[in-house]
Amino acid sequence: MFLLFALITIIGALAMFQQKNVIVAGLCLVLTFFGVAGLFLMLSNPVAAALQIIVYSGAIMVLVLFTIMLLNSHEEEPALQPRPFQRWTGALLLAVFGAFALRLVAGSKALVDLNKAAQPVGGMNLARVGEEIFRNYLLGFEVIGLLLLAAMVGAVALTKKEL
Amino acid sequence: MESVAHSIGLSAVMIWTLVKVLVVFGFVMSIGSLWTWVERRGSAMLQDRIGPNRALLFGRWQLLGLPQLVADGIKFFFKEDQVPPHATKRLYWIAPMLAFVPALIGFAVIPFGRSFTYQGALYHLSILEPGNGMGMLYPLAIGAVAVYGILVAAWSSNNKWAILGGMRASAQMVSYEISMGLAVLAIFMRVGGYDPGEIIREQVTTGWFFWRQPFGFLVFFICMFAETNRLPFDFAEGESEIVAGFHTEFGSMKFALLALSEYAHMITASALLATMYFGGWAVPFMPVAPVLLTILFFLIKLLFFMWIFVWVRWTLPRFRYDQLMFMGWKVLLPISMANLILNAWLMARGH
Repeated sequence: MFLLFALITIIGALAMFQQKNVIVAGLCLVLTFFGVAGLFLMLSNPVAAALQIIVYSGAIMVLVLFTIMLLNSHEEEPALQPRPFQRWTGALLLAVFGAFALRLVAGSKALVDLNKAAQPVGGMNLARVGEEIFRNYLLGFEVIGLLLLAAMVGAVALTKKEL
Repeated sequence: MESVAHSIGLSAVMIWTLVKVLVVFGFVMSIGSLWTWVERRGSAMLQDRIGPNRALLFGRWQLLGLPQLVADGIKFFFKEDQVPPHATKRLYWIAPMLAFVPALIGFAVIPFGRSFTYQGALYHLSILEPGNGMGMLYPLAIGAVAVYGILVAAWSSNNKWAILGGMRASAQMVSYEISMGLAVLAIFMRVGGYDPGEIIREQVTTGWFFWRQPFGFLVFFICMFAETNRLPFDFAEGESEIVAGFHTEFGSMKFALLALSEYAHMITASALLATMYFGGWAVPFMPVAPVLLTILFFLIKLLFFMWIFVWVRWTLPRFRYDQLMFMGWKVLLPISMANLILNAWLMARGH
């Protein structure tokens, strides 16, 4: 099961990069989101899986596809001239990022705990998510709320010609 | 049951799940296609017409136009399956499935009867067992994905009417999802849980949410019409402006799937309305009802809302697009927010 979802995720992501057609690329990204949601389910975290589908595939990607359709440019534009420098810098940065991510994952506490005797993990539910947010991460939650509000006001100010 | 299960090499739980899946899918499919008939006969009734009356079974029995269903089915199967030359082939093939699958599986979490014990084992009457952690988030997630069927169908047709219809539909569904989610949140808060079983038990003990949260019900009810793309919100179609909208280019069985998915969505929407605001399988004035009676009452509530969908479609004129957006963002969203805060305040006061 894990392999299935992991494959869905990776194939979706690779197909997205391969696609020249922007809309099909978007749909491949949706496939990736589903794979990730499946992985969340495997981690006995159905809340995250449901939210992943509701928020990412249900709202964000729909809006992105909507905008692409509105702009009416469905094909990726070919580059005017090859840019080898940017390309190699990109690859280098990706390698560095990947190396650090691998180091973080390999050195994380959860991975060490995995070797110990397996303790039963309770499935996540909405009540536990709420408790965590409002007990341990209240400040972060409030700051994100404020940030989103500011972003929303900014978006309205940018698009509205006369206020 | 245990012995029968062992004789074919399956466990009782697996057989029970298989039976439930078959029954529920069969039910959704048959009610969905039956409702195309109800829609046509019902619209004829409301508009003082006769409706479909030419199809005869064996050239003799009219049966209130029911043979029309069979005739339609046969016609759809044997029609030429054309793919327009300008379509994006692969997406064009996938689109009807993308529309139909979410419509079918949305029903899976809804309990259609009281859980019962038989020979010491507890049986639940819903495909997904309660306590799976997804609860009511599951139909919301599936409903959110449903928009892809329309979007992909619209875009793959490569037809400007279709794309216009698909874009209007997706904008509409995304806008109304927020009010819907907030209305549902108020219920989660009141119940203290989000499993459909818990929501129904709460309603059995303290009364239906239809009475306790009338504003939430109003918002959710209206949003359901928008989410199913039914009149007065059928902006995916709209014959006077954009032909048949997203399914303009679809013929034969592909069109049938797209049309059926609309009815399957109606069934899920009605089931959600019944579960969250009308007590689901709860029988009025009978806290402990026999299992069959609970199934019957769930069916009655479901079919009642299905009929309301038809009734509204043939009674109200459709909105204009700006009216739709005005209604979604400036009327329903504030109402559902106020409903959420009111409920939070009442709960805080109660402590």
